[in-house]
Amino acid sequence: MADVVLRNIRKRFGDTTIIENFSLDIRDGEFVTLLGPSGCGKTTLLRMIAGLETIDDGDLLISGKKFNTIAPQKRKIAMVFQTYALFPHMTVRENILFGLKIKKASVATMTQKLQWVLPLLDLIGLENRLPRELSGGQRQRIALARALVLDPDVLLLDEPLSNLDAALREMAMEELKRIHHQVGKTIIYVTHNQVEAMTMSERIAIINHGRLEQYDRPKTVYDTPRTVFSGQFIGSPPMNFIDGSIVVSQDNIGIMTAIGFVLLDRERTPCVEGMIGRKVRVGIRPQHISYIEHRASRRSSDSNFELFVELVEVLGDRSLIVGRLGDVVLRFLITREAELVPDQKVLVFIDGRKLHLFDPDTSLAIC
Amino acid sequence: MKPKRVLLETWKQLAWFLTLMVSLAIVAIPLYLLFKYSISDIGSINTGGKPIPIWPFHPTLKAFMYLFSDKQFYHVLVNSLIIALGTVGVSLLFGIPASYILGRYDVPFKKVLLIGLISVRLFPDIASVIPIAECFIRFEAQNTYWGIILAHSLLALPYVIFIGTSAFEPIPKDLEQQAMVMGASRGQIFIQILLPLAAPGLAAAAIYTFLLSWDEFIFSYFLLGIGKISTLTLYLKQKLSYAPPQNILATISLCLSLPVIIFSLLMQKNITAGITTGAVK
Repeated sequence: MADVVLRNIRKRFGDTTIIENFSLDIRDGEFVTLLGPSGCGKTTLLRMIAGLETIDDGDLLISGKKFNTIAPQKRKIAMVFQTYALFPHMTVRENILFGLKIKKASVATMTQKLQWVLPLLDLIGLENRLPRELSGGQRQRIALARALVLDPDVLLLDEPLSNLDAALREMAMEELKRIHHQVGKTIIYVTHNQVEAMTMSERIAIINHGRLEQYDRPKTVYDTPRTVFSGQFIGSPPMNFIDGSIVVSQDNIGIMTAIGFVLLDRERTPCVEGMIGRKVRVGIRPQHISYIEHRASRRSSDSNFELFVELVEVLGDRSLIVGRLGDVVLRFLITREAELVPDQKVLVFIDGRKLHLFDPDTSLAIC
Repeated sequence: MKPKRVLLETWKQLAWFLTLMVSLAIVAIPLYLLFKYSISDIGSINTGGKPIPIWPFHPTLKAFMYLFSDKQFYHVLVNSLIIALGTVGVSLLFGIPASYILGRYDVPFKKVLLIGLISVRLFPDIASVIPIAECFIRFEAQNTYWGIILAHSLLALPYVIFIGTSAFEPIPKDLEQQAMVMGASRGQIFIQILLPLAAPGLAAAAIYTFLLSWDEFIFSYFLLGIGKISTLTLYLKQKLSYAPPQNILATISLCLSLPVIIFSLLMQKNITAGITTGAVK
């Protein structure tokens, strides 16, 4: 059991900086996800914690002790690779016990660990099989079992679910969450899949170009993105963005944009008052644009716009509509009962309470 | 359109079939002749002007019996075995570490190194044997087991390193790093992960080395020729100079080539796998 602290970590490959001044604080027993697009440096960070990558600058502290230059063999860490890296010439049992054998554990310990982990990961009956005889889901569970029997201080998972099909991934996510609950280990999980991050983690670290964009609980990250990138990366379908400037119109404060005046809820008036005339980027989640056939249901904080339907994507229980007005494209969701067709003109409402305002220059959230 | 295509396929298949048959004949006919001569009676060899029969008139095991009653034959058989196994041992001892490094690490000029290594073998043996023999004589390595084993290892090493490198190369780096994170040292990783995974390729290299030494003649002749240690190939040459009946010679040849044929058939899969693993990169 251990907490992990990254302090001002820097990493370069040749001339390119991969990680720049990166700090992160992971509490003992916490499930933290490093989330970001491919190439953002999240796997490099994980490999630095494992000791497979050197740290150019900054400190890595595990349980308060500096681990920068300690060999991977000497860190009490277990890692599950994206490829699972099962030893192809060893049976499931040999794979699971490999680490314990290296550490010269007693036969009794090994038997006991095996008996603990096999039912935990539903691997009973597979002990004598070779990895190539198993399915992707089973392999993933063996990789996890192999890591768990080592009783690591920190468990590192590098996109362990990316090779599984959708249905299996759902199951594996639930299982991982359950296992974390049962063993209470510190888990650092790397993924580019925001659904995995939202579902499983206690805190999400959103990473872009080797920098930390936001580090918070999933709900907080979703409700109050700290940067444009956070808003864009979390949530599906992705957030809509419109540029505009803060104006006062008939006593109401809002944002004048290319599609017209977007009303801002009154609660934020004190905050925005001093910024009249300032340029802002408005972020609106598709979930907060509603299409209502009857104008009667309009709220006081709503502003309405007329859009042309460009595309209809059926998602099942709902449909995603890509609407356009001039150069502005807005994505929003409708219920399956409402049937829209391309080129149709529709009236939509934007909820002024749910707008996210960002500074277009710094990309940081304001108000 | 369709029948034309079928016709083309048939022609292709026929061409393949004929090519295979010709290649098979090229390999099989000499082997058959060897076998036929080894069980021929004298009458089927010296026919007195009549055509030599396809199957001997009176098949006999006399040549085998003669050979198996010759004490020298057993002596050279054991010698050949010792030398071949010794060569396998020495070649692997030096070849495996070299292949491990070349296959697992970023060695500068690796390709040049490998090509240089293999092109050493393009040099004809007969041209390199004199300076090497000269050198061996200076170190009194002629007429010794270790001398000839060293000489044969010299011939085998480029192949062992080449095949060995391509056996180590395709093993995913993740496996090594996974073992490392699990606490394994470099030595443990080498012995428990890399060596077992490279084993099929290394086995192919070992068998290739065995066969190379088993029927090597030129170096054996120059380094052992006049001494007490003799090999099967030298024994064959010696018998030939007494002009014995062809059936004796054919029998010795058969004994020489039998391990080659058996091993090649058994290991065919591994040898081709060992050779191609590096090639497809």
